[in-house]
Amino acid sequence: MAAPLELSCWGGGWGLPSVHSESLVVMAYAKFSGAPLKVNVIDNTWRGSRGDVPILTTKDNIVSQPAKILNFLRKQKYNADYELSARQGADTLAYIALLEEKLLPAVLHTFWVENDNYFTVTKPWFASRIPFPLSLILPGRMSKGALNRILLTRGEPPLYHLREVEAQIYRDAKECLNLLSHRLGTSQFFFGDMPSTLDAYVFGFLAPLYKVRFPKVQLQEHLKQLSNLCRFCDDILNSYFRHSLGGISPAGQETVDANLQKLTQLVNKESNLIEKMDDNLRQSPQLPPRKLPTLKLTPAEEESNSLQRLSP
Amino acid sequence: MSLVAEAFVSQIAAAEPWPENATLYQQLKGEQILLSDNAASLAVQAFLQMCNLPIKVVCRANAEYMSPSGKVPFIHVGNQVVSELGPIVQFVKAKGHSLSDGLDEVQKAEMKAYMELVNNMLLTAELYLQWCDEATVGEITHARYGSPYPWPLNHILAYQKQWEVRRKMKAIGWGKKTLDQVLEDVDQCCQALSQRLGTQPYFFNKQPTELDALVFGHLYTILTTQLTSDELSEKVKNYSNLLAFCRRIEQHYFEDRVLKKHSRWYFQEWLHRTET
Repeated sequence: MAAPLELSCWGGGWGLPSVHSESLVVMAYAKFSGAPLKVNVIDNTWRGSRGDVPILTTKDNIVSQPAKILNFLRKQKYNADYELSARQGADTLAYIALLEEKLLPAVLHTFWVENDNYFTVTKPWFASRIPFPLSLILPGRMSKGALNRILLTRGEPPLYHLREVEAQIYRDAKECLNLLSHRLGTSQFFFGDMPSTLDAYVFGFLAPLYKVRFPKVQLQEHLKQLSNLCRFCDDILNSYFRHSLGGISPAGQETVDANLQKLTQLVNKESNLIEKMDDNLRQSPQLPPRKLPTLKLTPAEEESNSLQRLSP
Repeated sequence: MSLVAEAFVSQIAAAEPWPENATLYQQLKGEQILLSDNAASLAVQAFLQMCNLPIKVVCRANAEYMSPSGKVPFIHVGNQVVSELGPIVQFVKAKGHSLSDGLDEVQKAEMKAYMELVNNMLLTAELYLQWCDEATVGEITHARYGSPYPWPLNHILAYQKQWEVRRKMKAIGWGKKTLDQVLEDVDQCCQALSQRLGTQPYFFNKQPTELDALVFGHLYTILTTQLTSDELSEKVKNYSNLLAFCRRIEQHYFEDRVLKKHSRWYFQEWLHRTET
């Protein structure tokens, strides 16, 4: 149990510890169950493999794929589902299947297939973290893999054209998000007060969709309307990932990048606050004068956080 | 289908009542139909029985090609053709019959999640066993799939389908799984279903829903189909409440119909053997 557990995974951005859904699922589960995980972010050196990320390495084992990694952690007594009843465990499996069937194709599409998103956001981000000349090949391969998966699982007749498949998968994804929102209701996590495997999976799938800034955002817009899911993601980010926000990048990372991240986080916080302000304004018009002081405080808090981050 | 087309079809569907001559098409029962297709067909039949809608089952060798989506079973109602359980449930709902109206939103979410679980794990495991496990492919699947066609068409079609299914398995990450891992997944899925069912008669207490139809279709077919080894059915037999569930639905909804003569015989024989 004391053996050092190392996880290699894709790095973070836009306020997330990782941009890759599966890596995020494993990281979230590790935080929930208290597993001491040393996170090795894939950077653009030739260290480490890029194949089946995320990969967990211990002294004797190498485990890939989130489901297997979670099983392994459970066997090592890091179990976040300890308090769940048998029926809740069964529900977990069912909801994970729902996520993989209904939500995953649309998430893959938003990241890897939608041309605007892929060429302006996903490809540059991943290519910057893969050494040349692999950076010319791997993102393209990942994109083709995603398109292949979507077409093989959902592109059956009578949907012959990619556009019809897209329409169908986005419709399914929106329905899935609605179902998740109904299931979550007003509670903090899916099964009471303690986060479990299902929370890790939902967070892993939703957080990149919620936080990454894309040009084409129809699914993101739909997600933002489901305020309890957004609150769910923000809660987990603030409670479990506050200290590692941006602190995962290795020491060799340029300060320009770090400054850009800091700026993006500031802008994101500001826009979130502006949205909240807007909502409050609509509900109770007499409150606006009181909102201004809080707006000034949080950037300062953000400054101190970022300062903490720059000196590990 | 686009939203407009779907709305149009629903409107047409809602206009007419359920006719007496509705038919369900599947492949030939004795020689051609495979495990996964049989399960899907049985699920639809169970669902329609639960809704009290009469349906006639017709077996055709080219059912797969007649179907609008390439999947069996499909139903021919009035002048519309609908395939697969999901669209059929929606079609029947447009005609005014629904089994899940009494559920609230959270329960509906649960029901959809469990249906995806069955599709994701049980159906994929069945497909894997049929098309990626060498023993089963050689002995059963190839022979059955191509049986209505002359040589060399039977071989060509069987290989083509096998290639398609293997490509899909690879895309979803099941290509590298071994048979043992697949059986373990089936076990996990059955455990989840068993825990969810508990001691209730149906998944949502007193009334059956489409989830019950789907689970019955798959489990009954797994229990009553002879494969090269009994491992798959052994996994299901470990859970007694699932067996009681299958028996209950069979007695309730299929007593007056001949399901599949020799498969029913197997089921009763097996029950008889375990009870004594």
